[in-house]
Amino acid sequence: MICLENVSKTYQTGTVALRDLSLDIEKGEFVFLVGSTGSGKTTVIRLLLREELPDGGRIWVAGHEVALLSQWRVPYLRRNIGCVFQDYRLLPNKSVFENVAFVLEVIGRPKHVIASQVPQVLDLVGLGRKRDSLPGQLSGGEQQRVGIARAFVNRPLILLADEPTGNLDPKTSLGIVRLLDRINRTGTTVVVATHDASIVDMMRRRVIELDEGTMVRDQARGVYGYGT
Amino acid sequence: MAANVQYVARETASNLWRNRLMTVAAVLTVAVSLSLVGAAMLLKQGVAHATTQWQHGVNVDVFLKAGVPVAQEKVIDQDLLQLPYVHSCTYRSQAYDYNEAKHLLTPDESQSLSASTTPASLRCVLNDPGQAQAVAQQFSGRPGVASVTYPSQAVHNMQQVTRILQWVFLIVAVILLLSASVLILNTIRLAIFARRREVSVMKLVGATNWFIRVPFMFEGLLQGLSGAVIAALSVIGLHLVLNTLGDSRTSNVFTQMRMPIGEVLATSAVVVVIGLVVGTVGSAFAIRRFLET
Repeated sequence: MICLENVSKTYQTGTVALRDLSLDIEKGEFVFLVGSTGSGKTTVIRLLLREELPDGGRIWVAGHEVALLSQWRVPYLRRNIGCVFQDYRLLPNKSVFENVAFVLEVIGRPKHVIASQVPQVLDLVGLGRKRDSLPGQLSGGEQQRVGIARAFVNRPLILLADEPTGNLDPKTSLGIVRLLDRINRTGTTVVVATHDASIVDMMRRRVIELDEGTMVRDQARGVYGYGT
Repeated sequence: MAANVQYVARETASNLWRNRLMTVAAVLTVAVSLSLVGAAMLLKQGVAHATTQWQHGVNVDVFLKAGVPVAQEKVIDQDLLQLPYVHSCTYRSQAYDYNEAKHLLTPDESQSLSASTTPASLRCVLNDPGQAQAVAQQFSGRPGVASVTYPSQAVHNMQQVTRILQWVFLIVAVILLLSASVLILNTIRLAIFARRREVSVMKLVGATNWFIRVPFMFEGLLQGLSGAVIAALSVIGLHLVLNTLGDSRTSNVFTQMRMPIGEVLATSAVVVVIGLVVGTVGSAFAIRRFLET
């Protein structure tokens, strides 16, 4: 589903983000991408979304080699990938329902599909009764649930989450990760970039650790740090 | 195309309403700038009109020798009219010319004149006053013609002045148009910058660039159109003011600048088209850099 082969990336400022990174993620896997700030986690996510292009190496996402996609096909690649962010990135003047429905409108889904799918996914994330609230009226955890609903409403093949619990307290974080786990059980490949040790340790899923742009660990049922 | 009409209409309407201050700013910018452009264009046309009117007042006088037979006068008259740049000729008798001379000259100077010594003349109106010299050259020295007079240097000077004046107004209009475009572009860009978050979210969830662009362009089109309509109305208003100023019995420069309403409407139409194009293209251009990558 996701494959990186000897990928390297240096930003124009001279910062080396990734060095010769190779990794393979199968369909339906749940993977934690861990590492300290600046280890290259976010760069991996940006490369998968084709927000950046690699300097070297090859990247496949959902059967496409990303670097070879022409510019006009990039939106179609992104429709296969749901995205969750630390800062939620909701549109502040649209209601919860509209924020989620927006995705389906953007990709041209008919109205009746929107009318049936949006309430369904809002129920899944437990916000069925807040559909008319504005993001500003919700707590951080609730906002992130809207973010997840938005990422998942289109039933993407892959769900990428960049520090999804970065702004949340431990208890709320746990709820968010459980939600991601539920989504994973529907067959969606989930990649979570995080440095939140508690959620990684609790889930005991595959852990890939990056340090200064190289992979230093790939463990099937891992924890955040070595043996701790 | 994924962007359906309903989506674009709803999105445009809500965007315009949400950013109403920005909308008002953009519309007013277009209105003020294009009013100035339209006014400059109108003044340029006014000067052109005044020039044409004034040029119709340029005459060539062909003075005839005393005692020339009527038949010969007729021949000269017909030959004059055959020239392509002669519009019309009027025959003026000795008595008429004598009276005119008395009006133009001081009593001292006109003392030596009498109705019988003053020559009769043909006063010709030209289509193209620049050809006055050619007429003079062809007819002076012809049997029966005493002399040909025309305001040579004056024609030349006036033509140059009006040509410069028209250029000045045209250049002013172009400069105003350029600065208006920059102002409008900047306003639209500010409006889009305020919504770059929305644009980035749209891109992330897989919206095509055209899908993002179309509502913005439609918004720009509406803003450009509303501003331009205001500008067009003020151009028409200016025309009415000029007309009123020129209408007073005292004939002044404004009287000569009066022009048919058709031309004013054409200028207004040009202003509206400019507003539409600048609004739409400006939006497309302003959003370009938010759509990269």
